[in-house]
Amino acid sequence: MSAGHLSNDDFFLRLSELFDERRQKDHGSIHLTQKRMGYGEDTSVEASEPTVAQPFSDLNPSNPFPIIIRATNGKSKDHRGKKIKLSTIVDAGALDGFFAKYAEICKLGMSGLKKRDRSKQKEKLKAKKKKQGISVAATEVKKT
Amino acid sequence: MPYLDTAQSWLTQSTLLLQARPATTRISSKYTITHPPASPKAPKKRPSKFSKEPTESTPAPDPNAPRATLTLKTFDPVSGATLKYSTNKAAEVSRLIQILGRLARPMCGLPEVKDDVPVLGAGGAVEGEGSGAGGVGTPVVEGAPAAAGGKTGQQQGGGAGGKKKKKGKK
Repeated sequence: MSAGHLSNDDFFLRLSELFDERRQKDHGSIHLTQKRMGYGEDTSVEASEPTVAQPFSDLNPSNPFPIIIRATNGKSKDHRGKKIKLSTIVDAGALDGFFAKYAEICKLGMSGLKKRDRSKQKEKLKAKKKKQGISVAATEVKKT
Repeated sequence: MPYLDTAQSWLTQSTLLLQARPATTRISSKYTITHPPASPKAPKKRPSKFSKEPTESTPAPDPNAPRATLTLKTFDPVSGATLKYSTNKAAEVSRLIQILGRLARPMCGLPEVKDDVPVLGAGGAVEGEGSGAGGVGTPVVEGAPAAAGGKTGQQQGGGAGGKKKKKGKK
């Protein structure tokens, strides 16, 4: 990747732009991936090599790994020139905050999905209100 | 293993896969909007092999109907294990991203969140699922007091309940 990794905030900014673009075009895809960032500068290769004493050393790392989140607009082959690639690195400690904001952006961006059908719920609510109204009226009548 | 039926079973299976292979497993989410039905590039329905006569009973697709889908995929290139879940409901998005966040923990090498039930319940888009998880979460050994709540919960979110129990047995 030529541009390098973005900071988390920049990533969110660009990601919502990506979603906006999708909405205007009215078709196409957005691909998001997440995986362990295993090749950073501070993770030594030796630590992840299996030894006799610890055959699955990668299952219990001494330091938590960061994860890398990537986003693309899925353009390839003939359209490779238009390909947009974003990536950001999230530290283990910042996961919760990141995903809270990530969920927000995705919820806004994925507006093409089916909305929840509220018409039935509304009808139920109306019926309930009517009933309550009648019962209130009845009690008032009783009082007087 | 291709598509799973519920987000809950996808979460369960993906958690197991990530625990086994945290270093290589990756999670991809794909948000796709297909071309409008009028467009020549619109996805065509292939005629079924078994029905020779073209049945025109299916109504024409609504041009304004939502065409987007969100597909989640957990893939481990070393073992080749693939787990997928697909949805077209907007209400599920925030819950699914929350799940992605939970799955990021084993990816980082952090310990599992201990009490997973409240997190799921709080983020649950569907009320039934939340209460279902809560119902199952109460210990089975407990007798009469929990029975009433447990029963209603299981009726509403039966699928989720079953999967959770399986996980517990392991």
